[in-house]
Amino acid sequence: MSAFHNRSQTSARRSDYVWQYEYYDDEEPVSFEGLKAHRYSIVIGFWVGLAVFVIFMFFVLTLLTKTGAPHQENPDSAEKRHRPGSCLVDIDGPQDENDKAFSRPLLSESRSYFHFYINEEDRGQRKLKPEEKTAVKQQESFNRPREENKAERENDLFSHFNIPNFVNLEQSSNLGEEDLLYEPSVILERQAHSQDTHCDIH
Amino acid sequence: MTPFSLAMNVSTVNQSDCPDVTVPFPIFFAIGVVSLAENLLVVVAVIRNRNLHSPMYCFICSLAAFNTIASLTKTCENLMIVLAENGHLQKKGSSETKLDDVIDSLLCMSFVGSIFSFMAIAVDRYITIFHALQYHNIMTMQRAGVILAVIWTTCGVWAVLMVQFFASKFIMICFVAFFFISLAFICFLYAYMFMLARSHAREIAALPSSKGRKFRRQWWRGSMRGALTLTILFGVFVVCWAPFFLHLTIIMVCPLNPYCECYRSLFQLHVVLMMSHALIDPAIYAFRSNELRHTFRKMLLCSEWRQCS
Repeated sequence: MSAFHNRSQTSARRSDYVWQYEYYDDEEPVSFEGLKAHRYSIVIGFWVGLAVFVIFMFFVLTLLTKTGAPHQENPDSAEKRHRPGSCLVDIDGPQDENDKAFSRPLLSESRSYFHFYINEEDRGQRKLKPEEKTAVKQQESFNRPREENKAERENDLFSHFNIPNFVNLEQSSNLGEEDLLYEPSVILERQAHSQDTHCDIH
Repeated sequence: MTPFSLAMNVSTVNQSDCPDVTVPFPIFFAIGVVSLAENLLVVVAVIRNRNLHSPMYCFICSLAAFNTIASLTKTCENLMIVLAENGHLQKKGSSETKLDDVIDSLLCMSFVGSIFSFMAIAVDRYITIFHALQYHNIMTMQRAGVILAVIWTTCGVWAVLMVQFFASKFIMICFVAFFFISLAFICFLYAYMFMLARSHAREIAALPSSKGRKFRRQWWRGSMRGALTLTILFGVFVVCWAPFFLHLTIIMVCPLNPYCECYRSLFQLHVVLMMSHALIDPAIYAFRSNELRHTFRKMLLCSEWRQCS
């Protein structure tokens, strides 16, 4: 009996030894007496903090969305804005004041950016600027019959400007349901294959 | 012993009021198998479809590959533990400990690698937006290949070092610091991209036309969706990874504190969270792509019906 007891003690000790880790070997068991707060307070605090952080992040993003709402009517706002690297830039070129086509300010670009694009682009798919203007003017004059073409151009235009799907316009449904930041390469590929030469990011 | 094998060993329960929360093995197996299948599907789809041979998909494929390794090794480890508990394997045998080390190295490598892949994806998207004109010059396939080679090599080396020298606090501090730095980096990149695209879209919507109002609505809706997507992207990353890293921090900082021990008792839950991140990742990154979905459909359906070329 004693031998068995000894053996079981030894095996118990051995199994105790197996279950313990290097860092815990010489430590005393943690005492749970006299705890002021709840046992799981770190756990609860951590998860509450994490949830607050995620919700806060979401609200900050939506707040940015709300406060950044565009003005009701301001034809000059788009033109006056200057953003390097983007083609929706400060338009220095001559403007047609009577132009009502919404795509007009986006198509015309300053000469400097145009030349910059020429130097960058090596695909040879872009037309010259005068041709752009004539294309736009033609589009304006034949508004009605070219409604579908215009819609198509708008589609392409907005798919070009659709910096990865932040603005998921219903017209540009060729991008499908993809959302934010998911398909930048699709945008670039479409730009590469497109025949249109808008003020292009590509 | 390394932290991953900490999971399955039970601590001295008698003296603790916070018993270790154990997650049943079927759950581990289920998560492991499903995430393995998903990520393997993504890897095979990207490799097979020529249209997907672009830097962006290479990074997504690398992420899926790391997740595959993680799921595979975690499933193997679970299997080993089940066998060990049933007595078929010795816990302290030399071959078992060597295998345990290999498994831990692979797990560590895949965790670090998936974080690196997230960073690579974020940088790739950043370049797409901010340097769109030069994107094809900056991010060529060769450069993407070099970046991936560097990532994989770094992860391999770091994993081996980590497992060899895990007892050293310096390594663990490096690991935790690396996590927080990459978290901040990714957060900053995505927030910056969001703000730029928001103001860009605002300009589009501010155009003077009858369609202006329609585009304003769409702008708002698009931005809302963008905000939600960003929150999901980032939120899932943080929720799945932060608990484990807090665990590592707590091991270093307060091993004796009872509160800390109660947090440590939830280790298996935290590991489940990390594994489920490998499960959720394809849904967030890969399955959103039309091209990839199309490839999946073709692969899965064509293998059944053999009608597709």
